[in-house]
Amino acid sequence: MSQNVHNENNNLTRRKVLTAATGVLGATGATFLAVPFVSSWQPSEKAKAAGAPVDADISHLQPGQMMTVSWRGKPVWIVRRTPDMLKRLPEMDPKLRDPDSKESIQPKYASNEYRSIKPEYLVVVGVCTHLGCSPLYRPAVNSPDMEKGWEGGFFCPCHGSMFDLAGRVFKGVPAPTNLVIPPYYFKTASIVRVGENAKKGVA
Amino acid sequence: MKKLFGLLLFILPFVSVAAVHGVELEKAPINLKDKASLQRGAILFSNYCMACHSIKYMRYNRIARDLGWTDDEIVKKMAYGQAKPVDDVMTRMLPGVDMEVLGTHVPDLSLMARLKGPDYIYTFLKGFEYDKKTKTWDNKVLHGTVMPNVLEGVQRYSTKEQFNQDVADITNFLEYVGEPIKVKRESLGWKVMLFLFIFFIITYLLKKEYWRDIKH
Amino acid sequence: MSNATHERPKNSILAWIDRRYPLVSTWNAHVGEYYAPKNFNFWYFFGSLALLVLVNQFITGIWLTMSYKPSAAEAFNSIEYIMRDVDWGWLIRYMHSTGASAFFIVIYLHMMRGLLYGSYKEPRELVWILGMFIFLVLMAEAFMGYLLPWGQMSYWGAQVIISLFGAIPVIGHDLATWVRGDFIISDATLNRFFALHVIALPLVLIVLVFMHIVALHQVGSNNPDGVEIKKYKNDKGLPIDGIAFHPYYTIKDSMGAIVFLFFFAFVVFYMPEGGGFFLEPPNFEPANPLKTPDHIAPVWYFTPFYAILRAIPDKLMGVIAMGGSIAVLFAMPWLDRCKVKSIRYRGASYKALLTMFVISFLVLGWLGTQPASPELTKLARIFTATYFLFFIILPFTSVSEKTKPVPERVS
Repeated sequence: MSQNVHNENNNLTRRKVLTAATGVLGATGATFLAVPFVSSWQPSEKAKAAGAPVDADISHLQPGQMMTVSWRGKPVWIVRRTPDMLKRLPEMDPKLRDPDSKESIQPKYASNEYRSIKPEYLVVVGVCTHLGCSPLYRPAVNSPDMEKGWEGGFFCPCHGSMFDLAGRVFKGVPAPTNLVIPPYYFKTASIVRVGENAKKGVA
Repeated sequence: MKKLFGLLLFILPFVSVAAVHGVELEKAPINLKDKASLQRGAILFSNYCMACHSIKYMRYNRIARDLGWTDDEIVKKMAYGQAKPVDDVMTRMLPGVDMEVLGTHVPDLSLMARLKGPDYIYTFLKGFEYDKKTKTWDNKVLHGTVMPNVLEGVQRYSTKEQFNQDVADITNFLEYVGEPIKVKRESLGWKVMLFLFIFFIITYLLKKEYWRDIKH
Repeated sequence: MSNATHERPKNSILAWIDRRYPLVSTWNAHVGEYYAPKNFNFWYFFGSLALLVLVNQFITGIWLTMSYKPSAAEAFNSIEYIMRDVDWGWLIRYMHSTGASAFFIVIYLHMMRGLLYGSYKEPRELVWILGMFIFLVLMAEAFMGYLLPWGQMSYWGAQVIISLFGAIPVIGHDLATWVRGDFIISDATLNRFFALHVIALPLVLIVLVFMHIVALHQVGSNNPDGVEIKKYKNDKGLPIDGIAFHPYYTIKDSMGAIVFLFFFAFVVFYMPEGGGFFLEPPNFEPANPLKTPDHIAPVWYFTPFYAILRAIPDKLMGVIAMGGSIAVLFAMPWLDRCKVKSIRYRGASYKALLTMFVISFLVLGWLGTQPASPELTKLARIFTATYFLFFIILPFTSVSEKTKPVPERVS
């Protein structure tokens, strides 16, 4: 024989089955091996620890004033709305894209016309739902640097999106949905815990 | 083949590097899967060690998760409500006090079990001896250590078995802290090896099948 | 038959590529129609295994750099961050640290194969020399990588090795300072070692490995009989005793790789410290420039050379001896003047000399892990002598070696 390879005795079926089995096992192994490498890109324990709930003391917040706390590195605004501000909210409805917040993200307990637990306090993630800039707080009616007829709210300097004082987006701007309401609850009358839902038994 | 395995045995002498301590170390009766022991160890560690020592590479919530506590429970049991679950487990001593009071830096204990081994910790904690002549304490494992015999009270008011168990619990806890993933690592290992074994059988058959082509 | 219709579009894509890039011809030249001797034995697994470990080191290494911080203040913490906080970070790190030791086990056995079957001899001198360069770069790579965890062993190991430069007359001390970039091992040293470990040396390694394989495929593989299979060809011009690398050796090597991975997984999951040899206990303590650990030993794969260094009672001569013990291996193709390649047909003198060499290497390796003592130093001197004796005697005995007749074709 001049060739080492001779084909008569080859069991081609057995060969195909074994090759397929090796291929399947190899692919399975490679998939499992990929898991650690893929999931190591997830936020680490340290990042999760930094994303832990934060407490905000609202005892010094004056009516109409806004404070910012950092939660998961993002700004979370707490606005103490005046009765006047609250009264104007329903009047905005026709100008809004999603006045009842059907398309927007908020916890169940903030799914109401004020988008908050206590109407007075708005707690909202200060990140524009368009491309992630942080909007500016322009609470005053006819604020001088805003367009005519401004009735108070938030304005995003990046691409001009506008939101009312419940974080609801106006029609005709790029942002698709209302600002996000984070999970929160009132730990005491003056402490808001942001980033966590109220536990059972806690008011 | 035989020669090769002989060679491998030579190249990989898997004997642990035995550090010279002067005293024979007692084998620590520990078990990382014994969660009750780890929980007791954590509480003892908090009560008797954390006045000076930290385990800064651990967070309370990680310990809680691994030892079967809730976040609220661990903060109550290990920190008396004085820390958040995401905090690192730090010493209660203020910075700089160790130098003033003890004249040395108190080591962080996160990796002590990996540095010295659990047997060292176990023997060390049991190794305090009172010298009636000089009226001083010393430790037979680490002579001249400035660490006081913090477990002296425990030793005095409990049985020998109970004391040994307490020391073992602390050692067990520190062994866990050294490598918190260890139990998971070992439970995953045999699965990976089993998979590779099955994979080997298939490729062995495949190799035999193809190599029937080759005439020797 | 249905195959033919399936393959047509695939072939046309391949043909399109092949007109623009030598894809099929490269595959054929190095895998599909690379004819390797059919009688490879156990020792021939380690070349492909070295490649496997190299890939493992690259991938796990890249992933480690995603969380590692190359600064004296943060390095140690970032390793613990990888071990505890990063999802699966512990596995990736253990794969890398175990891979480093596995690399040297595989490479030493691969080199041993060369010594057994005369793979360094004409016409494969360049394959051997390129391989020796790979070994050198690998040692530099391992040494620099070992500093990165910034533990006590990292620090003092680097301190000792860099101080070796100080033995060079006149410029020695300035050279050591220049390598460190500081008067002690410091942040600057760590930073440059990191750059070399993750960028410069891996690039050099890839190029050298590529050249090593190209050189091998130019002359063809040796085999346990040490006969050239190219001498006897069939009517198609293919070596009679050769078989296509694919599928025969791709399948066989895959099988070998799985066996290797089985043992590798055992170490990673059940003894990642390798009994204190792969991860040394003192390295679980952060680097402290004010306190040397009681007993410092280099990682196990450097210990034979370290033992030679310690055996010589003169700093400069010790450094020269250590360098020489590696450098002399480069000259193997010319020191061994016997025409017969394989140990199967070589005379008793070579078998005896090689046994002496291997024993010297292993004993020196063990001695390098031990604390220095007068008795052990004496022992180290004896085995340093026998280590070098191998290279000194070989040129004389190999000329007139009583060899057995070598078969014409592989057995």
